[in-house]
Amino acid sequence: MSYDAIKVTLGVLATVGLYSVLYKENRFYRFFEHLFLGLAAGWTLVVIWVENLKGPWWDLMVGVGPEKPTDPIGNGNWALIMLLPLGLMGYMVFSKKHNWMSRIPIGIILGLWSGQQIQIWYNTYGKQIAGTAQPVWPTTWSSLTVPDYAKSGLTGDALANAKSQVYLSQAVSNFLFLITVVCVLSYFLFSFDAKTKLVRSASSMGRYLLMIGFGAIFGSTVLMRFTLLIDRMYFIWIEWLQQTILQR
Amino acid sequence: MAQNDPIPQPAKPSVTLAEKLTSLPKFYLYIILIFFSSAPLFINVTVPNKPLESTIDLYATLMSVKKGETVLVASDWTNSTRGESWGQFNSVMRILMRRGVNVVLYSTGDAQAPRVAQDSIAKLNKERLAQGEPEYKRWENFVSVGFFSSGEAATNGMATNVKATFAGRKDFAPGRGLTDVYESPILKGREKIENFPLLIVITGSKTSNITVERLSGKVPIAFTVTGVMGPETGNFYQSGQIVGFASGLKGLYDLEGLMENGVNVPGKDGQIVVKSEKYPKIDGFPGQPNAGQGSRYYPTLHFAVALLILAVIIGNVGMFLARKGAK
Repeated sequence: MSYDAIKVTLGVLATVGLYSVLYKENRFYRFFEHLFLGLAAGWTLVVIWVENLKGPWWDLMVGVGPEKPTDPIGNGNWALIMLLPLGLMGYMVFSKKHNWMSRIPIGIILGLWSGQQIQIWYNTYGKQIAGTAQPVWPTTWSSLTVPDYAKSGLTGDALANAKSQVYLSQAVSNFLFLITVVCVLSYFLFSFDAKTKLVRSASSMGRYLLMIGFGAIFGSTVLMRFTLLIDRMYFIWIEWLQQTILQR
Repeated sequence: MAQNDPIPQPAKPSVTLAEKLTSLPKFYLYIILIFFSSAPLFINVTVPNKPLESTIDLYATLMSVKKGETVLVASDWTNSTRGESWGQFNSVMRILMRRGVNVVLYSTGDAQAPRVAQDSIAKLNKERLAQGEPEYKRWENFVSVGFFSSGEAATNGMATNVKATFAGRKDFAPGRGLTDVYESPILKGREKIENFPLLIVITGSKTSNITVERLSGKVPIAFTVTGVMGPETGNFYQSGQIVGFASGLKGLYDLEGLMENGVNVPGKDGQIVVKSEKYPKIDGFPGQPNAGQGSRYYPTLHFAVALLILAVIIGNVGMFLARKGAK
């Protein structure tokens, strides 16, 4: 049996082992669960040292050349050693006596994170808020729906002008979008008591619209879970049985 | 009562249809589900499909990158979302490989992600060699920068200086072993994020949000995301924060179809298969291995969903009958 065949076979055993919990809790499942967790933790530890700490921090600090070990040693940048006690302070969270120290690195991280938030908020929502401003009144009645430009025979400025118009179907779509935004926002008005019928109706409508949205997300989630199962079946029947064992 | 008389047994209560329908054994349900999720993988079924506008935009963007350019690919997926992400990664890489575009791989999502991406490229290279195409070489065509443990910090660093963010990162150069990634010819002169024509994020986690938060407006961004993330990613697309995206298995099936049929390209019968008023003719790669996980899994998904709908109907009918009987 080749190395690839052994690898795929072990993968199949792990897949069956992990799925066996669907039938009932068992030792076979527990074994593969712990195996998976151990492998993932071990792999992550090595990757963090090799890719995140050794090259970008340790080698720069002690001055190891960037290429072959036989290359001349470069100058060390020992100021980087300041990062070590700062990082270790984070672990003081486990000490009852010295856990105040852990607040220093956490405070630095929080400060950096907070400083970025204004730009991050704007980058995330600025364009989306601007995109909410959509025309809700048609600018032309020449067609109720967006025409098929390819068949219209229009070219140049005439085509550009036709494309810049807002047609009734677009206006209706934009209006529904705007109503949805307003209703959903009104659902989150908790600062005052909604006494008017208009605000209560909008809030109620907002709740239903949110539920439709959540339903769509839930539907996507179910489809994704099915896809993951189908992929495992592909792994077992096609990659292992057909391609590795039967070699077809 | 005589000694040999049989002991009278209590009469078995008759099981009603409603009880049968609402208490199907779990074991058999799983067997049926496994059958429905497996059997269609062995048969060739084509599902009628109209690609989404967002996927056409993604395809058009990928096809617009010039030969010899270098794009950033954030490969933030592992085997936990392989069902969707693997096929998406393969399709994106097939397009970039065939167009002679170089790739810088990095990950901010999971420590295993760079390894998974490299394994996938190795499989694609086997496919290319079998097709008589040149190998997509490490260092000359792609480099792997590796995993960044803090996605926020790494992406923030890339927004100001990509070279400084990738400092100390090494990859295998032929004949030299581990070498600073910036010595690779594909990264020459590309120190700022603006020097890259495109950033593609292939993800099953929130790294797509982190990318938009920090890099939006600095570089054209495209996503391939899992089906769960599709609705929220739609917001970024609608507001123009990303240039295109493929969501879940449907997005993958769209992408594979576009690779086979192109956009505004007449098919065998002379009819245009995928029409788009937004773009002129964009060629596909007909006859090449375009069909992957999307073409295999998408029809199978229909069978599995049909089973789910049937199970929901059976369960509801059973409950309806049970309630009716209780009255």
